[in-house]
Amino acid sequence: MLTLETIHTFYDHIHALKGVSLTVNEGEIVTLIGSNGAGKTTTLNTISGVLSARAGAIYLHSQGNEIFAGETPASPGSRRPGDVRGESVRIEQRNDARRMGGCAVRLDQLPAHAIAKLGVSQSPEGRKIFSRLSVRENLEMGAFARTDTAGIRRDFARVLELFPRLSERLSQPGGTLSGGEQQMLAIGRSLMSRPRILLLDEPSMGLAPILAQQIFQIIREINAQGTTILLVEQNAQAALQVAHRGYVLETGRIVLSGDSQSLLADPQVAEAYLGI
Amino acid sequence: MARHAETAQKLRIDEQAATRYIGIAILALIIWRVITVGLAEGYPTSFWISQALNGMVLGGVYALVALGYTLVYGILFMINFAHGEVMMLGGIAGFFALQFAQGQGWMEGPWLVVVVALLFIMLIGMVTSVLIGMTLERLAYRPLRQAPRLVPLISAIGASLFLQYSVLLIFGVSPHSYRKPALISGGLRLGNVFIPYTGAIIFITSVLLMLALYFIIQRTKLGRAMRAVAEDRSTAALMGVDVDAVIVVTFMLGSALAGAAGVMLGFHNTVVKFNSGFMPGLKAFTAAVLGGIGNIPGAMFGALVLGLIEAIGPSALGIPTEYKDVIAFTLLVLILIFRPSGLFGEVLSEKKA
Repeated sequence: MLTLETIHTFYDHIHALKGVSLTVNEGEIVTLIGSNGAGKTTTLNTISGVLSARAGAIYLHSQGNEIFAGETPASPGSRRPGDVRGESVRIEQRNDARRMGGCAVRLDQLPAHAIAKLGVSQSPEGRKIFSRLSVRENLEMGAFARTDTAGIRRDFARVLELFPRLSERLSQPGGTLSGGEQQMLAIGRSLMSRPRILLLDEPSMGLAPILAQQIFQIIREINAQGTTILLVEQNAQAALQVAHRGYVLETGRIVLSGDSQSLLADPQVAEAYLGI
Repeated sequence: MARHAETAQKLRIDEQAATRYIGIAILALIIWRVITVGLAEGYPTSFWISQALNGMVLGGVYALVALGYTLVYGILFMINFAHGEVMMLGGIAGFFALQFAQGQGWMEGPWLVVVVALLFIMLIGMVTSVLIGMTLERLAYRPLRQAPRLVPLISAIGASLFLQYSVLLIFGVSPHSYRKPALISGGLRLGNVFIPYTGAIIFITSVLLMLALYFIIQRTKLGRAMRAVAEDRSTAALMGVDVDAVIVVTFMLGSALAGAAGVMLGFHNTVVKFNSGFMPGLKAFTAAVLGGIGNIPGAMFGALVLGLIEAIGPSALGIPTEYKDVIAFTLLVLILIFRPSGLFGEVLSEKKA
């Protein structure tokens, strides 16, 4: 569903991602673990278009053609003026589609809002709730790119079912919620976009252990309902327990990957990230 | 070290207290002046009411322009100093639309024709301002989006001068005079108070436009996106909001209101020329700061207060009316000293100017 091919991302002159490659398959929970500053958030921000990769490619693809039918994925022509890459992006898209069988869109050339419209939804680090918008408006913002009123209403009900706490606070400004409630709102907001892939950045950060556990439980539920998830976590233990597969990131490079069980059993991982 | 920190803290508290005492002293002086001079003149009540009504009309116009400043500031954290010129150009376009309408004989027609013609003139003014506002954003501000804050500000001042002197060059120094159609040139007389029709129309139209804006901001998907972008641009983009498009729309909304204000001010003052936007622009900026820049209800309230102070102030303080600008800008200085975040401001403290 999502492929990163040797992605290089820079902050000015700092080389933050040094050729990250990873794959997330449909229906999976994949986790990206690593210590502070390893480049986990940078990876997610590069996928979602908040940062742009200087080299490499990111593809969003699916087996059928139905996914991108109807929407104008990423209308490359309407981007920055003087940008002549639009045409080449379109051609590449066709080639990629042929190569991978089905339909693919290259994300790394697109602005963030176009990527969001393609169904890549990021719940950013630090939650980034709109603190002056009400809880309801925050959720509505999640569905900004959608026009199917009935579907939005269904997902709104589903989110409130998943997070009953939010339904008591719908008209409250987002900024007045507690940390745990804000995390629920951030995830709920992402779900409102009915994402094809959900990028979760540190959903357990700053939460009491019980709340964190609850959040991981909900991540499992969301996945069981059919949403593909790429999960970034500092809490490697918990992340590997919910994920199917994992990648270990170290100073901008993937140093280890595999299914969660083998990573949990790996002595290197245990020493560096599980605090054993 | 601890001693130093303590002393610094104490000095800061002393300074705050001193500022407060100076503020109270100034306020007391003003009140004393009003009581001993302004009220001692013995103007009749109807005079005060007339002045207050004038102030409300002025306040309505300022509010429309102030909203443009505040909308743009709320989203981009920059002061669009060319906004007064956006308004002036709306007034100029309105003048030509009025001339056209007079040429067609619409202004002497039955009242329905006159009303439609006036709406047409207003629309031309608004559309012109919208186009100018969009062009400004595209050419003068967007290329500087990533630059330090001072840079777009300088660009804005440059754009303001460019627009003023372009108009001077193209249309000359002499003012273009708006000729009011007979339908709206009279007024209502209530006892000793005279309300000119234009004044009433301006005030009502301003209120309607403000209500429309408030509805757009609070109740529509677009308004929600605007508020989201104002709070956090990159998170809004993650939601699928095209931030550039929202910024353009913000400029369009602000400019449309300014265009309407330009036309109405043209009818009110009966003339418009190249520098007609300068003073009202500064006043509206003052009003926006007074209400707390970035705050929409604040801009409306600040404008009304400023309009009233300007209309009543000179008589109340017993100084010549020509000095009303002094009052307005003294007020600006006082706000900046004593309450930089304005009457309703939380935005400044929260997001640092």
